[in-house]
Amino acid sequence: MFEHPTSSWQAMQDGNVFYRRQQLYSIPGKLPNLSHYRIAGCRYGGPLALMRDSSKMIALGTTPLSMKPQIQIISSAGEGIMSFSWDQGKIIRFGWTFDEKLVVLNEEGTYRLYDLQGEYQQYSLGSEAAEMGVIDARIHENGLVALTGALKLLEVKEWRGERALHLANPGLSQPPHAWAVIPPDSTISRHVEVLLSVESTIYTVDSLETVDQLLARGPFIQVSPSPNGKSLALLTFSGLLWVVSTDFQRNMAEFDTKSVIGADGPVCQVEWCSNDAILVIWENAVSLIGPFGDRLDYIYPGSTFAITEIDGVRIIGPDSCDFIQKVPASTLSIFRPGSTSPSAILFDAWDSFNQRSPKADESIRSIRPDLAKAVDECIDAACQEWEPYWQRQLLSAAKFGRGFLDIFNPTEFVNMGQTLKVLNAVRFHEVGLPLTYAQYVHTSSSYLIERLTPRNLHLLALRISNYLSLKPDTVLRHWATAKILKSKPTATGSGQDAELGDDEVCRIIVDKFQQLGGADVSYAEIAKRAWEAGRTNLATKLLDHETKASDQVPLLLAMKEDRLALLKAVDSGDTDLVYQVLLDLHKRLPLGDFFRLIEDGGPKLTSASKLLQVYAREQNREMLRDFYYSDDRRVESAVLSLDEASRMTDQSAKVMAVKAAQKFFSEDKDRAFEAKMMDESVRLLTLQEQLEKETDGKVPVFGLCVNETIKKCCMNDMSKRADKIKADFKVPDKRFWYLKLHALTEIRDFQGLEAFAKSKRSPIGYEPFVRYLVSKGHSKEAIQYVARCDSPKRMDLYIECGEWRMAGKECKERGDKAKLDELRKRAPNSLIARELDQMATSMK
Amino acid sequence: MSDDEALSVDVSILSERNKKALVDALNSVNGSKTLVLDSSIAGPLGLVTEVALMKQHGVDKMFWLEPGPLSPSSSNVIYLCRPTITNAKIIAEHIKRHAKESRKFVYTALLVPRVSTLVSQILEEEGVLGDVSIGSYNLQFIPLAPDVISLENDRALREIWVDGDESVLFNSMQALTALQRHYGLFPRIVGKGDSAARLARLLERQMPKSTSTSMPETLMNPSITMDCLIILDRRVDMITPLLTQLTYEGLIDEVFNIRNSHVEVPASLLSPPVPQTGSSSAATASSSSPAPVALKKDNKKKYHLTPSTDPLLAELKDLNFSAIGKKLNHIARKLDEIQKTDLQAKTVTQLKDFVGKLGGIQSEHQALRLHTGLSELILSYTQTEHFNKSLEIQQNLLASYEVSAQVSAIEDLIAQEAELQLVIRLLCLASITSGGIKAKTLENLKREILQAYGYEYLPLLLALSDPSLAILLPNPLPTSLTSSATAKYPFTSLRKSLRLLIDDSPEALEEVENDISYVYSGYAPISVRLVQCIAQKGGVLSNPADKEKAAVDGDGSTAGPPTKVQAHPIVGWKGFEEVITTIPGETVDIVQSGNIPATAKTKSEGTKTTVVFFLGGCTYTEIAALRWVGRQNRGRKFLVATTGIISGAGLVENIANLGKPAGTKGDSIQ
Repeated sequence: MFEHPTSSWQAMQDGNVFYRRQQLYSIPGKLPNLSHYRIAGCRYGGPLALMRDSSKMIALGTTPLSMKPQIQIISSAGEGIMSFSWDQGKIIRFGWTFDEKLVVLNEEGTYRLYDLQGEYQQYSLGSEAAEMGVIDARIHENGLVALTGALKLLEVKEWRGERALHLANPGLSQPPHAWAVIPPDSTISRHVEVLLSVESTIYTVDSLETVDQLLARGPFIQVSPSPNGKSLALLTFSGLLWVVSTDFQRNMAEFDTKSVIGADGPVCQVEWCSNDAILVIWENAVSLIGPFGDRLDYIYPGSTFAITEIDGVRIIGPDSCDFIQKVPASTLSIFRPGSTSPSAILFDAWDSFNQRSPKADESIRSIRPDLAKAVDECIDAACQEWEPYWQRQLLSAAKFGRGFLDIFNPTEFVNMGQTLKVLNAVRFHEVGLPLTYAQYVHTSSSYLIERLTPRNLHLLALRISNYLSLKPDTVLRHWATAKILKSKPTATGSGQDAELGDDEVCRIIVDKFQQLGGADVSYAEIAKRAWEAGRTNLATKLLDHETKASDQVPLLLAMKEDRLALLKAVDSGDTDLVYQVLLDLHKRLPLGDFFRLIEDGGPKLTSASKLLQVYAREQNREMLRDFYYSDDRRVESAVLSLDEASRMTDQSAKVMAVKAAQKFFSEDKDRAFEAKMMDESVRLLTLQEQLEKETDGKVPVFGLCVNETIKKCCMNDMSKRADKIKADFKVPDKRFWYLKLHALTEIRDFQGLEAFAKSKRSPIGYEPFVRYLVSKGHSKEAIQYVARCDSPKRMDLYIECGEWRMAGKECKERGDKAKLDELRKRAPNSLIARELDQMATSMK
Repeated sequence: MSDDEALSVDVSILSERNKKALVDALNSVNGSKTLVLDSSIAGPLGLVTEVALMKQHGVDKMFWLEPGPLSPSSSNVIYLCRPTITNAKIIAEHIKRHAKESRKFVYTALLVPRVSTLVSQILEEEGVLGDVSIGSYNLQFIPLAPDVISLENDRALREIWVDGDESVLFNSMQALTALQRHYGLFPRIVGKGDSAARLARLLERQMPKSTSTSMPETLMNPSITMDCLIILDRRVDMITPLLTQLTYEGLIDEVFNIRNSHVEVPASLLSPPVPQTGSSSAATASSSSPAPVALKKDNKKKYHLTPSTDPLLAELKDLNFSAIGKKLNHIARKLDEIQKTDLQAKTVTQLKDFVGKLGGIQSEHQALRLHTGLSELILSYTQTEHFNKSLEIQQNLLASYEVSAQVSAIEDLIAQEAELQLVIRLLCLASITSGGIKAKTLENLKREILQAYGYEYLPLLLALSDPSLAILLPNPLPTSLTSSATAKYPFTSLRKSLRLLIDDSPEALEEVENDISYVYSGYAPISVRLVQCIAQKGGVLSNPADKEKAAVDGDGSTAGPPTKVQAHPIVGWKGFEEVITTIPGETVDIVQSGNIPATAKTKSEGTKTTVVFFLGGCTYTEIAALRWVGRQNRGRKFLVATTGIISGAGLVENIANLGKPAGTKGDSIQ
């Protein structure tokens, strides 16, 4: 019923190595004649992109004519996925990214990334590429390298629209004969390497330098690096295929392609089959060249196209899609004719068991020591088979063998079963993803899910997610987006989704999320798609379900829901978010509208208004002034004016600023006091200006406070002036006396101080004189004022002055014996003690 | 502080986290790099790491982030700064200058604690956004002591209540959430004050509504180590920071101004001992000259005030200053004795013991010398006229004794050119305690202030009387203000209901020592009383220590440690609801049960930690008082979390927007 696995095998190297060609899909008549097309194939069982090759002549009527270039995307199983026409400049190159997006680059350096739904993002290589034009490019999974009209290389890393960077200038005078790139993840330096076939040699170019490999066998018309980036296949004009390591140190194989019988014309493609064999494709022939120059020929009834995979090579022919690979070790060990390996015997035993033959038991016994290994090998071989029948056979053999083992960890077995189920599901021709086990392991299960959703296979993706216990989030997100796009209200109103209203769609999406536990799906993201699809109302509804304000707000802003965005931002308490909104609005709205929005917000937007003020005070004072003015905030305006005054150095400007503040205050009837104070301030400043003028600037007083100004006057022999200021500013006597005391003490004008003290009765008494002088270290000068203090305090004040004798005298005069005794005890030295003793005795 | 029961929450995890995050941030840039440091980060950073560690991770040179040219020594330049507009502009200026000089560097800006649109916007406006890669260094709570963690943001109070910039709230929310990530949900959030309520709501919203796989387990279930988060915003008690702190650490802050746990002290106090026994008497003699002069004389040195390196600090810092002399004397004697007895060591083992102790003794000696020196300096400060006068005014105002006389005493201080911060503090205190100052008098005082200190202080006066702060108000309020939410602070009724004032008479001295009011020599800070209302209800009405003593006496067994009362479980404001509602501001009480239904709460024994978060900063005295409260009960410890440590002087300075956090230049950068 099913062909034996070995039927697809072909031996190479004297029968030691086998290659097999498995038919993945039979696709007769599904594809057009490939030779008329430019084709790009996606790795990991991905689809093909085809575009009519306008350089080739075809018979009229064989393909539909179209003025615009059109790109078709077709799955490996020959099913059309989508097509679109290109209305931009001439397409230079197209290729596939790792996540199955088609990159199309035109001669103006513009490139688009199409997903399988036909949605695209557009980026550009920058102005230089646009000016010089792009003449060629190489696209790999995670970036591209473009050759500009100036024969310079530009590299784009990742697919997020990053700026294109220059690689080292190779200094070419004409375009290379052929070239290729080794992607960053396959090079030693982890940076992209470009190989250019120039004259008879190869240049290796990276971001730092260009290295001439000094070869003489060129020029080469095909340069093809192996998937792991270690080897290079070069094809010369003379048809010699030369395989060499990428550092050009090791010669690996040579093969004359002219020796292939039946192969005419130029070589179309040189592709690697995994890392060890090379597939050479002519218009009408396909040959696999082994590492030692051995050759296998395959026959196809028409032109073919090959895509290198990490574990083999995929060939699309007119009738079939095939996969050629080296027969894996485990498979070889089991099915190789005459194999006596334990796994082969186990498989045989299982066969015998099925036929109820006692040989089964015998066989098992014979491999008892190696049984575990045999079981593992059967499991491994199962995953290498394409046909579910053989998968099952091999797994059953493994299960059978397992029964004879004492200890066996079934995890591997169970996982393999699960994985095969998943793989068989996606290999189904309607899905058309001929993913091999090795490719699946290489790319991970979540990657598989991400490939299914763009094909709108949400149910399958969801089931696989559940089956493999993955989070359903990715699927749900994509599903919701698709749902929104599908349910777009159309004029014709056909299709079941089309009539759904916004409420309905929103409800369906929310229900589905809650039901499937997609707690980590961001509603904001989906809302964004809804908005992009022109369904603002739906977007707003969906946004209401978003809990993270930081996701909500940017979209609201984009939707021009300014007030709501600001409210949500303020509500979140995240000041940075508020700033984000404010700055955006400030940029976008006319100033008046902007202010009105904030002012009309009332108490709810107070904090936004406050933040705006904080920002403007530092960055945009002009705006702040306008803001206060438009809102009639006199006090704030005045304070702002004062703040500016404090930063000014120019005297008249400063006076002006303070005057402005005064005016603002005076316009507010509750701020009469402040206005008066500012009036005083202006008067003081004018007075100080005048003072400085009179003293020729020798006494700098501008900007000082009233106190300091008075002190400065006292210190500079302008006591009349000081008196005048006192009168003008109604400085209380008490404060004035302190000021004068402090000022005169500072310049040690003790005579002046004495005269001042005697000028009239001190309103602060004389104790402050004593204390202040002492504290400044002028005890001697302080003594004379003690006598003018209240008598009970005199004694202590004398002591503070260090005048013990006078203190003693004071006690004596007052007849305070107790105090005198105390004094005697505290006496600092014997001399004074003796004197005090004398006083004490004389008192009796 | 006697730690008989260790804190069930180990804050050293936070230290490690901070350090690791810094190393990761530095390592994100390859090769050697020049670090450009925002001066407001330097202080906090000094608590996180040492220069050596940064050198290990490739930092070869450090500069201050300031305007002017920058000449980096390596091709990588890392800016570590707060995401402020000024900083962004300086960075842009550097880059443009380098571009003009056609010098090429790779710029990285690490923003603390998170990236901000504001910075990228400004860099974009300046046209340099493409040249800088922007990252973040998520510096959140920094442990200052085993029971104190701080965001070290000096300007929090100004930002919230003067500028209206609520970034602090959001940052606090993130920091507290990070705490919950470690220890589980706060089972209950209790708080007072409008901003506190807002913070509580932010915290609550942060929590998931439904099970989501991306949430860590700890955020799903109530904590078993923490029993409550108490959020107090500073507006609830503006009185406390205005008062002069009277604990040892508090006074050090008042006199020397502690910044990020570092204090600048005269270098002579830190240098190794000079054999000069006779100098002590000379020092006391000179102490009669005013302290500021003495302080300025010799060059200063930075000293890290932390119990981990200072063996005496733990014993001293929370004592009332009046007890410091005795304590120091006692320690000196003890040290002396140890040395004497040990010198008589006879046997080899005795000698070995002695040698082993030597190191410890030496560091204790050194600490002793430092603290003696410090307390001498503080003592001379406390003897100044202004200090005593202001203390007298404070006590009288708190007792509402002859308010108008106090106001004219303040006027006298202005006439004598006392420090502005002192005058402002007293004036605000007078306004809060007496419900506003008579309009005419207030206007006169304001005029005096403006004349004496400069008209540029008008914005400060306006800010103080702005409804958002409302700590300097006329009485009665002008009609334009009465409509707003500035309800009067019910100080006089609180004084009675919360037992704020304890008689300072000698008979009551015992009581003062046995109550949190010891930190202000007879006045209990409202904030801490409020914490007691939640976590030690008995302590508000009478002294827990008294009862306990009575109980011990009753037993007749004086020996052995006194058995403490088990702390009662947290039941919110219960019992004090009426008192609380009289204080302006929202009241918060939220139960966070996570996924476990509230009824199925597991009751587990063991010490619980109650986190007290001061939004807008707290003082050293409040920390001391909370420690005292914590010592009275079994089964509950307090972890003080704050936006920063504040003092009255700093508060006034901040509101006036004078002291932008000055670069504490020198030690942390070489």
